[in-house]
Formats: sequence, structure tokens, C-alpha cells
Amino acid sequence: MSKRLSSGLRAWVVQRFSAIYMAVFLLYIVISYMMRESTGFESWTAWVSNPINNVAVGLFFFALLLHAWVGCRDIVMDYVKPFSLRMLKLVALATILLAMGLWVLLVLLKAVNY
Amino acid sequence: MQFSIYRYNPETDNEPYMQQYNVSGLASGLMLLDALLSIKASQDESLTFRSSCGEGVCGSDGMNINGRNGLACVTPLHDLKEPVEIRPMPGLPVIRDLVVDMTPFYAQYRAVKPYLTVHDPEPEVEYHQTPRERDALDGLYECILCGCCTTSCPSFWWNPDKFRGPAALLQAWRFLADNRDQATQERLEDLEGAYSLFRCHTIMNCVDVCPKGLNPTKAIGNIRKLMLKQSI
Repeated sequence: MSKRLSSGLRAWVVQRFSAIYMAVFLLYIVISYMMRESTGFESWTAWVSNPINNVAVGLFFFALLLHAWVGCRDIVMDYVKPFSLRMLKLVALATILLAMGLWVLLVLLKAVNY
Repeated sequence: MQFSIYRYNPETDNEPYMQQYNVSGLASGLMLLDALLSIKASQDESLTFRSSCGEGVCGSDGMNINGRNGLACVTPLHDLKEPVEIRPMPGLPVIRDLVVDMTPFYAQYRAVKPYLTVHDPEPEVEYHQTPRERDALDGLYECILCGCCTTSCPSFWWNPDKFRGPAALLQAWRFLADNRDQATQERLEDLEGAYSLFRCHTIMNCVDVCPKGLNPTKAIGNIRKLMLKQSI
């Protein structure tokens, strides 16, 4: 096999590692929120403006979107056979996920400069 | 005992239908195949199904029994809820009644090259295997190719031409795991891409139905692990 991961294996690896990251992150966010005294908006902006938390949240959404891409792509590959329809669905999916990613990025950048 | 059996003869029927049968006087301890043979012998000789050894070795009488694939010859009658609904294995073309066309299944089996491939000169006397090397093949070589697992796999239903299916992938791992085989790279290359191997979503229907108690899902996981190991 070539040094590069084959497309099936790559998607599978991405799915596994994004899942592991999300599980660890959710644990972290639950614990770090329980340790805080207040949980209002002010408290959240303070928490998320910490560079480590900010990057961790960014990575979480990156992992979430990658995970969603692999899962939804799997569904499309399983059930949608006609090429044009399949392309349409994949492009629509990619657009929606990218838009969500940009939105998350904007929110996080805003939070840093709050 | 009540039976509801899928009937379809493409020469005379426009569409399949379920036919009811009532079989009385079945001795205790009999298997489903005994009931089918009794129906064929005394009620309806047109009822068509495959069977051969009658003891779960040949894998001929795979069918869908109360919604679950299994071998009629090793399915005890007393465990079955009545009316016993019997259908052909799903996902394959029906030839007649409970007889399906296994061609797509065999094509995928053939595609994994289920035989030893050796590049070195063959040994003069015999291959040597340590007990541990031989143990690696346990749970793999016992497959009887009945098709119960592959025809219960939704991924095979949707992509029977591209996805190898659990039975073929179990055999792919059987030869990858064999220390005598020297075609590891070629075998892994053949399984590359998004379909052959990676349409498996680990729902484990195959493990649930295998009449020999084998675990194709684990074999598929082992192939993935080996692929990952070879590519990094």
C-alpha cells in the first residue's frame, strides 16, 4: 500500500480520532464548568477568551465538523446512487459545514477580543 | 405448528406471496428443516428450498426465519414463535421460493482471492507452522459460506457490487492472518478505497446471525488495524 492513507482508511481514521478528541473535550468542558463559580455570559467570555480554551473550543468544532462530514458522506455513499444527485448533496453538505465552521471561527475571534 | 412461507415461481406468479401451512405430529427435538421436508413430502411438493447435509456443515439451507437469517437444519422448532415466518435470504435475487441466486455473494468471495499466495519456491515437503501461528486461523477457517451474514448486512444490500460483505472479508483476513501467505500488500491494496472494506459500519448483524458463531466484524477491525499499521 502506498504511504498515503487510502480514502476509505483516511475517513475512518478521521472519524475515530475526531471522536476521541470530542469525548476528551466534553469531559474537560464539563469539569472546567463545574469548577467555576458563576456560569453567566460574562463568565463564559472570560473562560473562552483564555487562549487555551479558545483553541480547544475551535478544535472541538473542527473535529465535530470533520466527524459530521465523514458520517454524512457515508450516508450519501450508501444510499444516493445517481452521480449528479450525489455530487449535489455532497457539495451542499460541504457548504453547510464550512459555513458553520466560519461562524464558529467568527464567534471565537469575537470572544477573544471581547 | 403454523408456518407462513414465502412462495414465488417466476414462471407462473406475477408477484411473491406468503402461503400458510399447518404441520401436526412433529416429534420434539426436530429442526426447522425437518418441518420443511415434511411439508414437501406430504402437503406441497412444489415448495422449493436448498438443503444437503442437514447438520450445519454444508451451508445450503440458509434462510430468513422469523426475520433472522439462519440455517434451517440447526434451528430447533421449539424455539420458534408461531406462525413461523420463512423467507429467502434478503438482498439476493430469488430464483424460486426460498432459493436465491448466490452469484453476487460468490463474486465477492472470489474477489478476495481466497487461497494461499506464495512468491518463494514452495517447500519440498510441507509448510511448517507453530501452534501459535495455526491458532491465528481459528475462528476464520470454519466459515461454510452459507451467506447468512452477508445477506443480513445492510451495507451489502445497498452496494452488493462494491462492498465485499462480511463473509468475503472474514476470508480476506483469514489469508492476511496466515503466516504462510506472502501477498499481504496486494490483498490490502485490493481492499483500498471507500467501498470494498469501508462500507462496513460495524452494526454487527453478521456476528448476530452466524450459525458457526464466527465474528466477521472483528476480522474487519483487524484488517483496518493492519492497513493503518502498514500506512504509517
